[in-house]
Amino acid sequence: MILKTKISTILIVEDEVSLRNALRDKFIRKGFKILLAKDGEAGLIIAVQEQPDLILLDIIMPKMNGMIMLKKLRQGNKWSKNVPVVLLSNLGADDEKMMKEISEDKLAFYLVKSDWSLDGLVIKIREKISLI
Amino acid sequence: MNVHKNKIKKNILKEFQSLQKKALNEAILSSIGDGLVVVDKEGRITYVNQAFEKMVGWKSEEVLGRRVVEVVPRESEKGEVVLFNERILTKVLSGEVVIADLTNPFYYIRKDKTRFPASSIVNPILLGGEIIGVVETFRDITKEKEIDKAKTEFVSLASHQLRTPLSTISWYTEMLLAGDAGKLNSEQAKYLDEVYKGNQRMISLVNALLSVSRMDLGTFVLEPEPTDVVSLVKSVVIEQKPQIDRKKIKFSFEFEKNIPLIQVDPKLLSMVVQNLLSNSVKYTVDKGKIKISLILDNKKKTLLFKISDNGYGIPKNQQDKIFTKLFRADNVRGKDTEGTGLGLYIVKAIIDSSGGKVYFESKEDEGTTFYVTLPCNSLIKK
Repeated sequence: MILKTKISTILIVEDEVSLRNALRDKFIRKGFKILLAKDGEAGLIIAVQEQPDLILLDIIMPKMNGMIMLKKLRQGNKWSKNVPVVLLSNLGADDEKMMKEISEDKLAFYLVKSDWSLDGLVIKIREKISLI
Repeated sequence: MNVHKNKIKKNILKEFQSLQKKALNEAILSSIGDGLVVVDKEGRITYVNQAFEKMVGWKSEEVLGRRVVEVVPRESEKGEVVLFNERILTKVLSGEVVIADLTNPFYYIRKDKTRFPASSIVNPILLGGEIIGVVETFRDITKEKEIDKAKTEFVSLASHQLRTPLSTISWYTEMLLAGDAGKLNSEQAKYLDEVYKGNQRMISLVNALLSVSRMDLGTFVLEPEPTDVVSLVKSVVIEQKPQIDRKKIKFSFEFEKNIPLIQVDPKLLSMVVQNLLSNSVKYTVDKGKIKISLILDNKKKTLLFKISDNGYGIPKNQQDKIFTKLFRADNVRGKDTEGTGLGLYIVKAIIDSSGGKVYFESKEDEGTTFYVTLPCNSLIKK
């Protein structure tokens, strides 16, 4: 048994239901508390209300995309300026403007979805949370 | 008298024949859809056809006698004017043998200063072995370029779309294999492992296609930074250690001390080393040998990366094709079905854009050595 002092909460914002559920199932099994949103608009509301330890954010989504949600989040209070965000997308590094925005945000990280296994993601996210 | 009459008759006939010939030539030249320009040995225009007039906007009478390089300037993709001495036409006039470089598109500038992409063929006019002028024909390749771009963008879009279902398959098989949904029996695990591996292959194929389309679209961004090439190579080797061990390959890595940090894009250089090493591993028999060396050439200010194997080699008659997109040599197609034919194309594109060189030596059934040189002008001491 691994003893944990605190259970970390992750908000998953992803429009693709199969991917959202896969992430939910894996992270719950690994002992995280999970919040779910299916677009940026809903994600922003839940984020501000629940203040999770980390946000796992898709980029291309209906209503509000991940990049806009990130921007709006960073305009908010002290918590929303400092919450780590892992952008998980299948976009390549083609979009220079987007990559620049992400690299300028010290607490945002970009991962290509199809290049990561779920176990790899869990390790990466534990690492990001422990840095806070 | 009769003799005189006959002479006149002959002359009229001759003149008629020459007019006929002229009309025929005129008809031939004006029916050519490509722009055509003839210049004398000073590079002055002596003839242009109708397509030329239409394409560049200059009338024949406005340009006759003027130097063609001034009338129709040529510029590169970025808008840099191609200098007089660099023009193919000038080179052909001076007797130089010129090989058309179709990979490097250029633009011609019209009378109204707008431009269009063109491809051209330049031929010398020879009289008794002496060059007395040049004929150039050129074509507007706007449409071809648009189609090529549309194709590349389609590949890029399709590949991005493919990544989502590939992620779904990957993640759910991973959870099943991990026993998240209950323990699998050994046969189920074995079958599922094949699904997982097949899916991983599809993911790397899509990644390779995306890299290629990024190169073709010119959206590949180089981000050079001072890089420790020795540790870069070491980490690629560690990544591929399982494959090397599985084939019981004798692997060695030699490098000189004091190799400085080199200004290069580390992600792209990793991709180069990954591709070359995985090729060597794939195309070498079990218990074969692979050796990587890093050699510093202080005189030429270059770093040489060398990888040799004693594997299958590349057939002599296909050696000129190995850097071509989607090409795979005959002797390995049967042995390995996993290759995409994109690896070396990617390697070459990266090294070319980094100012380096890549070349190889190979003999079938004896082995292959690839050489990559990287410029290290901007040496940075460790």
